[in-house]
Amino acid sequence: MKKLLKTLFSAVCLGLCAGALAPEAALAHGEKALEPFVRMRTIQWYDVAWSKAKLNVNEEVVITGKFHVNADWPRGVAQPDATYLNVSAPGPVFIRTERYLNGQSSVSSSALKLGGDYDFKIVMKARVPGRFHLHPFFNLHDAGSVVGPGQWMEVEGDASAFTNRIKTLDGSVIDMETYGLANGVAWHGIWIALGSAWLLWWVRRPLFIPRYKMLHAGQEASLVSPLDRMIGAAIIFAVPMIVFGANFVTDLKYPNAIPLQAAMDQIDPLPPAVDVGAVQVKIQRAEYNVPARAMIMTALLHNGSEHPVRVGEFATANVRFLNPAVIQPPQGEGATLAAREGLSVDTADPIAPGETRTIRITAEDSLWQRERLDGLIRDADTRMGGLLFLYDNAGQRYVSSVSAPVIPKFY
Amino acid sequence: MTGKSLDLPAQPYTGEKARLSRAYDYLILVLALFLFIGSFHLHVALTVGDWDFWQDWKDRQWWPLITPLMMITFPAAVQAVLWPNFRLPFGATLCISCLLIGTWITRFFAYHMWNFFPINEVLPATMLPSALVLDAILMLSNSLTVTSIFGGMAFALLFYPTNWPIFGMFHVPVEYGGAQLTVADLFGFQYIRAGTPEYLRIIERGTLRTYGQYATPLSAFCSALLCTLMYPLWWYLGKAFATTKYVQNI
Repeated sequence: MKKLLKTLFSAVCLGLCAGALAPEAALAHGEKALEPFVRMRTIQWYDVAWSKAKLNVNEEVVITGKFHVNADWPRGVAQPDATYLNVSAPGPVFIRTERYLNGQSSVSSSALKLGGDYDFKIVMKARVPGRFHLHPFFNLHDAGSVVGPGQWMEVEGDASAFTNRIKTLDGSVIDMETYGLANGVAWHGIWIALGSAWLLWWVRRPLFIPRYKMLHAGQEASLVSPLDRMIGAAIIFAVPMIVFGANFVTDLKYPNAIPLQAAMDQIDPLPPAVDVGAVQVKIQRAEYNVPARAMIMTALLHNGSEHPVRVGEFATANVRFLNPAVIQPPQGEGATLAAREGLSVDTADPIAPGETRTIRITAEDSLWQRERLDGLIRDADTRMGGLLFLYDNAGQRYVSSVSAPVIPKFY
Repeated sequence: MTGKSLDLPAQPYTGEKARLSRAYDYLILVLALFLFIGSFHLHVALTVGDWDFWQDWKDRQWWPLITPLMMITFPAAVQAVLWPNFRLPFGATLCISCLLIGTWITRFFAYHMWNFFPINEVLPATMLPSALVLDAILMLSNSLTVTSIFGGMAFALLFYPTNWPIFGMFHVPVEYGGAQLTVADLFGFQYIRAGTPEYLRIIERGTLRTYGQYATPLSAFCSALLCTLMYPLWWYLGKAFATTKYVQNI
């Protein structure tokens, strides 16, 4: 028994050591960790695209896309009064050189309006060679981050060739990779040298036991000599002199220095792109069939356009359920979060112009489980949300933001 | 400075006893070094945290308030052991030196090598001048009260001017994306990290708006006042949790 335990213990130790010595790369950014109702009913991403997936150090990739801010915002999530469009990556392997929201250059946070439509563009410059997974994501104040669709990027080249030169308002050109480093290290070096000298001044002499015995034997006077006191006085005088002198010189050297900036950008939504136009959709009932991994939505649909329309896609939390009769399956990495035949409608007939019809839409795929969206039925807020895409024969797209309470069906 | 004045003070031991007591000194020093590198560094990472990690957190209001207040803690506690029991006035310098060793190791290996941040974006602040003055005041005054008041104040008041020569150049303005930013802000925008948004940065917030643009001295004096209270608090913590009974038995 003892031998068995010993063997088991050794095996566990070996396993842990092997795991520690050969770590695997992190392949995710916690995008499935956020509760489903937050992912489904806050920032609804769509049409996200990358200009390229392979590039060299110093080359740029452009991320573009759109998002709708769900009007049925969860009550348990703070309102989007302070949000920041960010990029998730394993450290600054890319730098962000430009960012636009609705065509407006933006470097700070901004508020989003419920029901608002936005588009974005982020320009990233490759800095470190390797294979990295990037996502656009939104930092939501007091709520966390809502991650958009991801993309693997392959960067080749030499990291040391990376350059990032910036012109300051005083006219000088600086290299962000090295700016201020030598000066900072030099100042640290000076103070570390002085601190070490003070420590060595004391450590060179017998320390703990002899000094304790001498102190308690009434020989305190010999423990701190007049020279020690003189050095102490010099420290009290000289150190502040150096500090304030250097501070004064720095003020002279950088007369235009300003405080850190803490302003927010003001960005208005685009003209509405979702829930506008001639097609209107209202979900009357939504059921989630647990064993079938299917969301069944009963929708009242009115087609006020001049062409017949068909339901082509239901998108929620970056997962796309596609109706193969309407939508061509995506290529590349986008396919991993797309259920190519995941969407079906109870009638193949398009909704005719002027017609109002109740239809049953089924979004069925294991992606509900793989993306941990099936946990919605155990959330504190069990309303689902997403974007429904409808198309007419001429290729016109109508986007509708839908939401409804979800009733689970366990058998 | 004569050769005589540099002589080491007399000690009660000679020969083998002296050698053993010296070995004991080194043992304690090495243990203390690792203990304070770990514990003080952890304490500062958890309390000062982002203000010390990132260029774009080092503001005029919160950084000079929080940093000295949280960094006077361990120095006070260690001084409470080293000075009353051994008359060694290097507790503060020892703690801050250990902190800097831990900080530089982390910034270089974790932030720079592992997470790719340029090292100039994560330059740490230094409190060594403050620590030297704190040690010197304790040695010369031999008084907890005097050290609390004058040492505590000096510890906080020296912080910002000590670090301005390192960080001032990162406050040079830049026009970027149609806005005026500092170079430090630009690091936050360009070198992506999850905590970039300024609403997450606790900077330039508060009610110090009625003093024009002179928020820093007010923050520094506020920190100085709080440090005079924090110093004795941690002095007594150090005194309560340390013992010399093992030295007494030797």
